[in-house]
Amino acid sequence: MSTTVGFHDEGYGYDVFGLHPPTLDRIIHTCAPIYDHYFRVSSEGIEHVPTEGPAILVANHGGVLPMDAAMLCFDVLRRLDPPRIPRAIADHFVPRLPIVSTLFARCGVVSGTHTNAARLLERGELLAIWPEGVSGPAKKFRDRYRIQAWRVGFAELAIRHRAPVVPVAIVGAEESWPLAKKLHLRWFDSPYLPIPAWPLPLPAHYRLRYGPAMDLARGHVAADADDPVLVHDAAARVRDKLEQMLDDLRRIRRGVFR
Amino acid sequence: MNVLVTGATCPLGAAIIERLIADRNVGRVLAVGREPGQSWTDPRVTYRMANLTRTREVHDLIHGDARALAIDTVIHAAQHRGANDGGHYIHAQNVESARALIHACTDHPTIRRFVARSFAEVYVQPQSTTSLIDEEAALDFDPAAPQWLRDRVEADLTIASHGGSLPTAVLRCAELIAPDSGSQLWDYLSSRVCLRPAGYDPIINVLSLEDASVAFVFAARSEATGVFNIAGADTLPLSRAILESNRLDIPVPGMLMAPLYRLRHALAGFEFRYDLNVRRFHFGGVLDGTRARRELGYVPQTHVHWPRPWWRVLFERLSEARS
Repeated sequence: MSTTVGFHDEGYGYDVFGLHPPTLDRIIHTCAPIYDHYFRVSSEGIEHVPTEGPAILVANHGGVLPMDAAMLCFDVLRRLDPPRIPRAIADHFVPRLPIVSTLFARCGVVSGTHTNAARLLERGELLAIWPEGVSGPAKKFRDRYRIQAWRVGFAELAIRHRAPVVPVAIVGAEESWPLAKKLHLRWFDSPYLPIPAWPLPLPAHYRLRYGPAMDLARGHVAADADDPVLVHDAAARVRDKLEQMLDDLRRIRRGVFR
Repeated sequence: MNVLVTGATCPLGAAIIERLIADRNVGRVLAVGREPGQSWTDPRVTYRMANLTRTREVHDLIHGDARALAIDTVIHAAQHRGANDGGHYIHAQNVESARALIHACTDHPTIRRFVARSFAEVYVQPQSTTSLIDEEAALDFDPAAPQWLRDRVEADLTIASHGGSLPTAVLRCAELIAPDSGSQLWDYLSSRVCLRPAGYDPIINVLSLEDASVAFVFAARSEATGVFNIAGADTLPLSRAILESNRLDIPVPGMLMAPLYRLRHALAGFEFRYDLNVRRFHFGGVLDGTRARRELGYVPQTHVHWPRPWWRVLFERLSEARS
């Protein structure tokens, strides 16, 4: 698989955010069994993801570690034709973690600053954003698949850069590896140290559904992205759509592991 | 265009002057430095020795020679290079000279533009391995920061916040990779063994002397004012920079880096200070040069010349001589 489509090489094989396609290729190759055989990821609606131009994938977030984010990025790389490298936007503390920060950067993960996201969209890249942020993985098991705090920055970006938003419902992550306890240690500025319910994720069947692209910028100009009411309304529309897709996916699945 | 260039004897100042000379639209160049006896072959260049820490000398330079040569643009590229020096005199060199210079240039009969050099280090280093730094990013006002850094922030703000009528451009440059330029990275990469914090390999952006001089000439020609990030053409991980310099890359635990480099400084007297670079060596951060591209027309094009081991330099020179 070639992961160099749309890659902006800065001259040494890396882009300005540290993405290194050969490293990404190696990781995809190494982790393919996890995607294919352990979580048996199935997805539908990949045709809704634009194959070119700026776009934003907006997904729900859950599970003790971001396995759902990894599976979504993996799915886009595997199934989208031609493949695009989704630029996952991570919370601010993630790129501070030793080893993880470098590894994530080589795979295309970017720190969630406004400048970073804006520049990526200006370059016509595909962003993957989890607007729940930390509140998604931090929620209790009884709250699984209930959208938590919903940040609206993605809607502002979508309107300002005229980027279509593709809602993505991910089911399976929350049962696979739920959070047991949060230790408030704040190592490396992380909000908490997660203690999983079990040491390894269970082989839950991951189901992904891509919804039709939503044009939040329709009827607006870029300057409208400064209107807080408009941005909140647009973000709420995406949230409502995502909740509906999550309910549908959970209804049709026959079990967590099947 | 008649231009006054301070720091004429430092590598950047000399490169700017060479580039100005190559431009036929440039009439006179008044080169200002601290060392005596400098000369240029081009008759358009006049060299003046001046101590910019003395307000009277600055005043006489600007209202004497500069007025006589009808200087219309001032490029302030002078900056003390030693990272381990401190005290009032160094502060005067870095900050008070900039203050005196811009004060003298304001409401001057011929000077119409002021371009000053600043540094990427003035920004608070983002605590992230993947971050672009634009001109709106926060500056580092840490009172506990070394004087080397505090001076740079103060000089930058002195010029950027100048309230007079003089159009001003401040160029916050990525680290210049060149010998004798005060570059911390050059010194770091000149060592045969480069220690790197284990677990981190930040992306860095570095600037060549050629690109830096182009940026200053573009800024002198332009009418755009404000702050501009000047990024270089080389964006790469720190480990790759070490590799490009043919050095041995040894990751060590972060807590050992500072004492080891202090020991190296004590024994060998190198300029590199780990305390000045600790955040950058963990988290990186790359200047976003969009504004400079849009308003100054500056696009980095020339790659840096990495420090080479002596045997490689010798080999390259022998090859050149043979060819």
